[in-house]
Amino acid sequence: MTLNEINVGQTVLLDDFSQSQPVYFKLISLGLLPGDPIIVMGKAPFGGPISIKHGSETFFALRRSEALQIHVKNYASKI
Amino acid sequence: MLQQVTATLLLVGFPNAGKSTFFNLLTGGNRKVSNYSGITVDMGKADIKSDKDGDIRLKLVDLPGIYNLVPSSLDEGVTVKALLNLEGKDGAQKVLLLLDWQRVEASMSLALAVKDIVGAENIAIIINKDDLGEIDPTRRAELEKKIGARVLPISALNASSKTVEAFIRSLDLSSQVETVKKLQITKEAHEFLPAGDHSAKIEVIEDTKQITDLINWYHMKARDVLGSLSRPNDAKALLTQKIDRFVLNPWLGGIIFAAIFYFIFDAIYTWAGPAMDLSESVIVTVGELIGNYLPEGHFKSLIVDGIFGGVGGVVVFLPQIMALFFLLSLLEQSGYIARAAVVTDRIMGVFGLNGKAFLPYMSGFACAIPGIMATRTIPNPRERYATLMTIPLITCSARLPVYILLIGTFVPATTVFGIFNAQALSFFFLYFLGSFAALIIAKLLRLSYFKGETGNFIIDLPLYQRPSLKTAFKQSWKKGKTFLTKAGTIILGLSILIWILSTFPSPNPELLEGKSPEEQAGISLQQSMLGTMGRTIEPVIKPIGMDWKIGVGMLVAFGARELFVSAIGTIYSLGDVDEESSSLREKLLAETWADTGKPVYTLATAWSILIFFVFSLQCTSTLAILRRETGGWKIPIIMFSYMGLLAYGGAFVAYRLLS
Repeated sequence: MTLNEINVGQTVLLDDFSQSQPVYFKLISLGLLPGDPIIVMGKAPFGGPISIKHGSETFFALRRSEALQIHVKNYASKI
Repeated sequence: MLQQVTATLLLVGFPNAGKSTFFNLLTGGNRKVSNYSGITVDMGKADIKSDKDGDIRLKLVDLPGIYNLVPSSLDEGVTVKALLNLEGKDGAQKVLLLLDWQRVEASMSLALAVKDIVGAENIAIIINKDDLGEIDPTRRAELEKKIGARVLPISALNASSKTVEAFIRSLDLSSQVETVKKLQITKEAHEFLPAGDHSAKIEVIEDTKQITDLINWYHMKARDVLGSLSRPNDAKALLTQKIDRFVLNPWLGGIIFAAIFYFIFDAIYTWAGPAMDLSESVIVTVGELIGNYLPEGHFKSLIVDGIFGGVGGVVVFLPQIMALFFLLSLLEQSGYIARAAVVTDRIMGVFGLNGKAFLPYMSGFACAIPGIMATRTIPNPRERYATLMTIPLITCSARLPVYILLIGTFVPATTVFGIFNAQALSFFFLYFLGSFAALIIAKLLRLSYFKGETGNFIIDLPLYQRPSLKTAFKQSWKKGKTFLTKAGTIILGLSILIWILSTFPSPNPELLEGKSPEEQAGISLQQSMLGTMGRTIEPVIKPIGMDWKIGVGMLVAFGARELFVSAIGTIYSLGDVDEESSSLREKLLAETWADTGKPVYTLATAWSILIFFVFSLQCTSTLAILRRETGGWKIPIIMFSYMGLLAYGGAFVAYRLLS
């Protein structure tokens, strides 16, 4: 699963950052680590950016082309 | 007496952690602050305010925000360069790490990374935005023990500079910061550092994964250090979530965006309008009073026509300039700007730009210069150039006087479409036109010369905060002062020059014989140096509906846009012998063509001038900063030419359509 498939309001876990893509570099810079839960807060219309909340404090937005490169897994599948 | 010792302190931290607010608090400085990342793109140095008692002189260096020590844009390179003292000049005595309590975990990882590079004894930690005093002495002691460095929790917005200064003075500032470990960065990151051999301090790692893992490791360590420390209060995050539900709503978002900006333009008219009428009447009255006491002659003419007509015409716009900056500052402090970047990102994408380009464009509404500087935050050089080359098309505050003068005089203040004010709408249109042109040109550049992939767009959304009126007043006051200083120096000087050029040489007395005073004034103006110049360029500007007087104003405005208003102010004051029309607006309405006697200023001419101003690059300071940022004259010359062509073409079309 990739992040762009996730619906608004859903919480997912970041999968391993196995590929050394620039987008992972940026995520790690913001303090998002593999296995962290994130929640999709909103999606702008016409394929605009997706806004995300991480932890209790970090809000950010990213383009769908970036979201396509981010692998996530179901919150439940953690167990 | 002891020789005074200086200690330099570097301010390092996450973007939008409040470094510049902290800097202003301690130095009494007035660096621009707001609530989004990437406002500071260069180094700022100042002495700490209360440096009087003869102890160590403290110098504080404000640096652009960084997420980690691996720079990914030019502004981040500035910080890493300073931190490692790559230029090998006088180094710093301490690195002050400013952490953001609202994002304490992520910003702590940066602090830990810096600690490893320069050593624990060379850093001190300040945790900002602890607005509720959540870090009590016990927690503070615990943190100090775990990090191995001194910690001070503050809230930079309402902290006392005394407390912070006392903390800084209690640190050991005797030794210079040295790197104790080589900094590992990627090859790409190395590009953002100044050229040279840095192998003593930097190790370039080919494998990007290794660097990513390292940053990851610092984040894990930060989580470990913070451990059981209670997390920041959630109330602000919840409020942010609630507001964003509306602001980032797929359908409401765009409407809110347009409404906010329309409100700003409307406010400039409806709020600042009465203030402008007041300042205008004060200037006119003072001018007349002084005029009454002066004997007839050149000196009176210089004071009344040259200075009051010229400088006075510009100074009346002070309320609008201050209102614009006041409102922009409120908006920037609130945290909305980053959301605006999200709302507009789809549009930016269509034009081949990064959503990040929105922020420099936004600065461009105030002035092109900070906008051009802010493009340093765009990592991809092609995108950066496409943005930078189109920023001067964004309507800056220097165009305000021209717009307000012409719209206020020639567009009736009627209500259109039920709710909109025709003047505010015209204003909105001019802003829109400039921005739209900027995007189109950027797209053309991205399709041709600066072709390439669009860089990634991940933007921080800061928590909303109540804007401080005090900061907004300060910002607006600062801009008002800059504006008045410009009026009192450059514009004053050039107004006097214009007066001289339009008064001398005096015409042959034979020409004036038997003419009315009005005709005499007209002939004098025509025979002057300025008149000769004007008539030389008249063939070029007649197709766009301008007479030689407007043409001269346009020519002068290539120095700075406000000069248009002061130049025509002086010229029309000279021509207006009976001083019947007191304000510049009345003078414009009274101006007629010499041959036909018809009014010079029709709606078509007014719009022709307006459109010309939308497009043309009439600002020497912008050209100078462009040369500095692009390292040559090539880009500024290209920009000056394409914008000039657009201006002339646009004015021609507008004039033909309306006349």
